[in-house]
Amino acid sequence: MRALDLKLLRDLLRMRLQVAAIALLITCGVSVAVMAFSAQAGLKRAQSQYYAQTGFADVFAGAKRAPLAVAVSLGRIPGVVAVDARATKGGLMSLPGMLRPATATLIGLPDDPRQALNRLVLMQGRLPDANRTDEAVALKSFLDAAHVALGDRLTMVIDGRQMSFRITGSVLSPEYVYVPGPASSMPDDAHRGVFWAPRLTVEKAAGLGGSFSAVSLKLAAGSDPAPVLAAVDRALSPYGGFPAVARADQISHKFQQERIDRFGILAWVIPPIFLVVAASLVAMVLGRLVETEREQIGLLKAFGYGDFAAAAVYLKLAALIGLIGAAGGGVLGAWMARAVTQVLAQYMRFPSLHMRFSWTAFAAAALISAAAAAAGSLMAVRRAVRLSPAVAMRPPAPAVFRQGLVERLAIWRRLDQPTRMIVRNLERFPARALLTCVGLAVSLSLVVGSQFVFGSFDEILDQAYFRARHWTDFVGFAENRDVSAVASVGRMPGVIAAEPARFAAIRARANGREQRGFITGLDPAAWSTRPLDAADQVVPLKGRGVVLSSTLARRLDVQPGESVEIEIVEGRRPRVLLPITGEAQDYAGLSVYMDRHELNALMGDGDVASTALLLVAPDQRAQFYRAIERAPQIVAAESRADTVIGFRTTMMQIMSVEMSFFAAFAATIAFGVAFNVSRIALSDRARDLATLRVLGFEPFECAYILLGELGLLALLAIPLGVLGGIGLADALVASFASQELQLPMIITARSYGLSISTFLAAVALAAAMVGGRIWSLDLVAVLKTRE
Amino acid sequence: MPARPSPSAAPPTFDVRGLCKVYASEAGEVHALRGVDLQVAAGETLVLLGPSGSGKSTLLNILGGLDRASSGSARFKAFELTTASDAALTAYRRASVGFIFQFFNLVPSLTARENVALITEIARDPMPPEEALARVGLAKRMDHFPAQLSGGEQQRVAVARAIAKRPELLFCDEPTGSLDSESGVQVLEAIAEVTAAVGATTMIVTHNAVVAGMADRIVHFSDGAVTRLIVNSAKRPPHELAW
Repeated sequence: MRALDLKLLRDLLRMRLQVAAIALLITCGVSVAVMAFSAQAGLKRAQSQYYAQTGFADVFAGAKRAPLAVAVSLGRIPGVVAVDARATKGGLMSLPGMLRPATATLIGLPDDPRQALNRLVLMQGRLPDANRTDEAVALKSFLDAAHVALGDRLTMVIDGRQMSFRITGSVLSPEYVYVPGPASSMPDDAHRGVFWAPRLTVEKAAGLGGSFSAVSLKLAAGSDPAPVLAAVDRALSPYGGFPAVARADQISHKFQQERIDRFGILAWVIPPIFLVVAASLVAMVLGRLVETEREQIGLLKAFGYGDFAAAAVYLKLAALIGLIGAAGGGVLGAWMARAVTQVLAQYMRFPSLHMRFSWTAFAAAALISAAAAAAGSLMAVRRAVRLSPAVAMRPPAPAVFRQGLVERLAIWRRLDQPTRMIVRNLERFPARALLTCVGLAVSLSLVVGSQFVFGSFDEILDQAYFRARHWTDFVGFAENRDVSAVASVGRMPGVIAAEPARFAAIRARANGREQRGFITGLDPAAWSTRPLDAADQVVPLKGRGVVLSSTLARRLDVQPGESVEIEIVEGRRPRVLLPITGEAQDYAGLSVYMDRHELNALMGDGDVASTALLLVAPDQRAQFYRAIERAPQIVAAESRADTVIGFRTTMMQIMSVEMSFFAAFAATIAFGVAFNVSRIALSDRARDLATLRVLGFEPFECAYILLGELGLLALLAIPLGVLGGIGLADALVASFASQELQLPMIITARSYGLSISTFLAAVALAAAMVGGRIWSLDLVAVLKTRE
Repeated sequence: MPARPSPSAAPPTFDVRGLCKVYASEAGEVHALRGVDLQVAAGETLVLLGPSGSGKSTLLNILGGLDRASSGSARFKAFELTTASDAALTAYRRASVGFIFQFFNLVPSLTARENVALITEIARDPMPPEEALARVGLAKRMDHFPAQLSGGEQQRVAVARAIAKRPELLFCDEPTGSLDSESGVQVLEAIAEVTAAVGATTMIVTHNAVVAGMADRIVHFSDGAVTRLIVNSAKRPPHELAW
């Protein structure tokens, strides 16, 4: 081994703690990128494999009852390559051990499952025997959540008829990865049973012999779904058709896609910030490290090594540190991606989900880090190499201090000497102080920015389910019913109050844009649901006017005072231009609110409702639920309490894993900055501090001088970091704007508290590690060494 | 201001008996001190002479509370240095010892006045920093930073810093080692004047045999042991010294 390489290795060993601290920064940047992109790549691949394996359809439509011949004609629409028509019907079922009834959706299995679209993946057990009418398979997520075992017998009321099935298998279905509730889009697995039974059984139960109520179409690769959707709508409209949707709007897919996309957004927003921060810190710290090696560079040159050879040693050192950090980042990132993916696998419900190591992310992140390491050292090496060997070998001239601005302030006279040392050092090296402060501030920003989603989700829940909605339970009718039906629900046991509402799917158009959403018809004095504006004031419903959710208004680029075209995609499908009378702050979904009576008038109906919104006494829920199970007209039920739990598990748990990693890394960055800065300060000050120790200063008094500066900068970094965190949260909010779920920009006091204490703990740990060395300073050596 | 005690009348400030210091090294044990016995009277000025590695600095370090003996005893009044805890040694240095270093060891970010104040702030009965600086002839340069002072001036600031707390002991390790003759003499003068004023017992380690001229006694070191102890009957003021 050449002597210079040997020196390189020895230097690496000698400075191992600092090398480790710098490499740690690189590891942070690289691993966050690797984690985010690997998990994202794994999700994407799992989804596409799942869809390919199961023949997931491209277009979905439904009808009340359409003859099978219509399905054949759908197959002749240009672009359609396969059609799968089935009988489906919904109802309610009571489950042993569960308070509230679950909704049940019964779907017919085709005679030849291999020809079908949206094929099931059997996870356990077997498919039902085609010759038996009492066997069915059920969605795995439901079986797991409701604690139903294979072989159990379940009873449900479908179309007013009681049916009983023995569960023979547990399945996954690409069509029902998520089964949203009737009133909210939140999954609630235990209360959403989906069952597949032999075709004839279901047709008989649903009264759909020779006809279908759901149809899926597979399109030729690359064909435009829009004309197909229109053709399907035309073909099904005589049969009570529900509007056809493309895969992008299929409710389960959309829900899943939003979550995968959210991951993508996080991957593109947060890791680059981490990487840039880590890279600039590496450049700074490595630069300072090389500066302390100035004498060695001079020595090498004095021995006759050329500028390049002398510089190369330190560039290699930088590259090695970069490499160690990047390799660590790759390994750690892969480990974290696996951990995140394992958590995701519980919620994303793919038959198989494995993280896919993103070599691209790794290579790009490693390259950026290595470049930063090289750049940082290059500048310092160039400064050192430019000096003549004689000058370089002398230690840099002692810093010249002079009276600064602070000395003119009255408070100066009250400061003790150690504090003056701290202030003078800040004054003397403002750029260094600024860089440190910014580095610390950015790491705090990252903690605040990654903590913010938790507060944000809490706000969504609180706004949606406690301030804007006051019902505890919701029941849906099979068809629109006269409001007297709501009144009779109101007389059921436990019901304190009942209010009618009407829900319908819509298409809203304005400024040449179209959005799909829902309209809610409410009574003007409703207590159960009240659209709120951004200031939490109730937005009144006025005449024929509509109130738009702010997301919908933004997407259509309309505001109150303008008009919007609403097409209600049911019944006679009215299409009308309505004045916008208000805007509601609605984080989830694209909603429109209107006076229910006006909505009924638009539809040409009498005083009808599709749902009843209820206030149910908590201690009488059981009696209430038993009553609705016996009411054949009620096919859907939802409770606020369960929805809130569903929201927490599906929305928050997934993001919290990744966000916790981000927060941990942000804290690591704070640690890395603090450690490196104080380590460098210690090498700068070791002699002063040892002198003070000789002169009788206590170790902690010296620690104050060494770390007081860091503490001051860390305190200064707090307001800056909080501001940066708000900025980062704003950026995240903005990048989530394309999603249906809008994140409000809320940072709670708890988030701030948690972030700041995490940050301070990281800084304190670094300070303690470096400060501890004051106790072991060599007091004898300082007597003999010159500066 | 305490009056200067008479060397003969007072009990010894330092009582050193059989002091040994052994360093373990890869090449084996190195005996830096081999059973040193020494008594130092209060207010006495001792100059320790000897070649490099003879043990004079090791003795100074142990007596200054910076290093520990391997065996033997070193007593400052009633305080046994060899068994004291780190905290007790720190308190000892803080309360009783003034140090002057070869390379001045001033804090570059503090002015001359502030460098002295650094110590007077933690001392029990200090003189004002201005007075200490005036005593070493730097009344007009108090607000200068170390980088704005000459080597001799910096060392005089160090002297002011060392005596401002009115220490009972003043330890000087090669105080003129990095100064030219003229500045060196000025520094020695400052040391002699201020120690006389505060009545400090002074021990000066040096290579420079000329410095021994200002001592009450001269201690010759060789190979870890005291080889000669000479009472200097021809004690001279520093301004008469030159090298």
